[in-house]
Amino acid sequence: MIPHPPEIGVWIAAFLTLACLSFLYKDNPFFRFAESLFAGVSLGYYVGITLNQTLEPNLFEPLRDFKTNWDLLVPGVLGVVLYMRYVPKVGWISRYALAIFVTYYIGVEFTRKIHGEVLPQLARTILPISKPDQASLVSLVFVIGVFSVLVYFFFSREQGGIMKRISRLGIWFLMISFGAAFGFTVMGRVALLIGRLNFLILDWIYPTLGI
Amino acid sequence: MPNLLDRMLHLDRRWIFLLVFLCVIFPIVIPIGLPVTTTASTRASFDYIESLKPGDIVWISFDYGPSSAPENDPMAEAVMRQCAIKKLPFVVSALYPLGGLGLANNAVAKIAHEYPDLKYGVDYVNIGYKDGAAAVMRRLGDDIAGAFPTDVNGTPLSQIPMMRGLRSIRQVKLVFTIATGIIGEWWITQVHSQVGTPVIIGPTAVSAPKYYAYLNAGQLIGMLGGMKGAAEYESLLRQRYPQLARFYMTTRDFTATKGMDGQTVLHTVILVLILLGNIAFLTTRSRPKAEA
Repeated sequence: MIPHPPEIGVWIAAFLTLACLSFLYKDNPFFRFAESLFAGVSLGYYVGITLNQTLEPNLFEPLRDFKTNWDLLVPGVLGVVLYMRYVPKVGWISRYALAIFVTYYIGVEFTRKIHGEVLPQLARTILPISKPDQASLVSLVFVIGVFSVLVYFFFSREQGGIMKRISRLGIWFLMISFGAAFGFTVMGRVALLIGRLNFLILDWIYPTLGI
Repeated sequence: MPNLLDRMLHLDRRWIFLLVFLCVIFPIVIPIGLPVTTTASTRASFDYIESLKPGDIVWISFDYGPSSAPENDPMAEAVMRQCAIKKLPFVVSALYPLGGLGLANNAVAKIAHEYPDLKYGVDYVNIGYKDGAAAVMRRLGDDIAGAFPTDVNGTPLSQIPMMRGLRSIRQVKLVFTIATGIIGEWWITQVHSQVGTPVIIGPTAVSAPKYYAYLNAGQLIGMLGGMKGAAEYESLLRQRYPQLARFYMTTRDFTATKGMDGQTVLHTVILVLILLGNIAFLTTRSRPKAEA
């Protein structure tokens, strides 16, 4: 099968990819152009998708049946009120909408944090050591790690003596976790480069050369 | 020798960029085919989906953007192929604002092309993007149609056969979230912890370490960590369903398995460079003492 030559969109994407990568050599106008274009397109896309996928089906469309869905005016007005901050004279009104949003999310987050993170993870971290097995020994390491790291971040008094030693142990735990996170980060960043170079070779260069 | 070490320490970093570039390009042009070993968290994910019965609904949420597509796209495609083979109807949603929907549409179109027997509205549904992920998830526990009144095409959910009996995310047998950032955490803490629906996550490699806490706490069925996790899943899928080899053995398409060739080569080079850099640093640091 003869491969299709790349379409104009692929050429544009290839140009923008090379423009971005060109920063690795040194800063240049092509990189600046790609950077600004990306920021602008991202914002435009976000506005468009919010209009079409959120506001239209969740607000504008239901409001056409006003008798049933009149209550949707409340969040709609709250959303509009947020933009009052751009009118200095009535900017204070936006604080009411912001306060309601913040309160709502505190309520949602509070349950989420306690039931979704703190309690289940605490329950699985602190296991009984009355019957020592592999799980309880691993759990003991976790408990020591959590405790020593917490001591490291306890700044209310000067750390000396036993506190200093525990805090040093906490640093070791932190360093090990940072190392693991850094290893994963390298893998993630390399994956992005692999993705871009795959695009350049498989979708742009090969079809252009007819390979 | 000292001169060489000095030059190494003051090497223009652009030479290293060039080396990295070549290390990644080489396995793309000439795939090496290095073996991929699987980890327990990926096997647990695969086995769980294998244990589902035909008709069990899987919710696949595209919670990532184009910036992490090379890591996350292969995960989404692998799980959707598994669902298609096992006749597991799947609901596709997107909660990531910058490009999640576009990636979901692309992946759905690709799988629909590969499996022409799949019927939209019966075997799969794309319910599109919704802003405010945390609030959306809260609503999914009570009323899916309240959070997503229509599918991506604007069809009311009540008119879609697969969605008629599906009122709450409780009825879904699995949520598979392919996530960058915090949205994956919300699926665990907002849906699994509050409603009980099992969750599998496919995070980016950068996000993977934080999810081990949830995995170890039993809040996740399994996890596919970054491109390595995706490659592991592809490997398990190929072993279980040899007919899928056609998608993964081609030299013209990108797969996570092929990506791992580049990862391995480059990580080896990075380790060598770290080693050389440290030797050069330690040697030059001790030189004045030796000379004295």
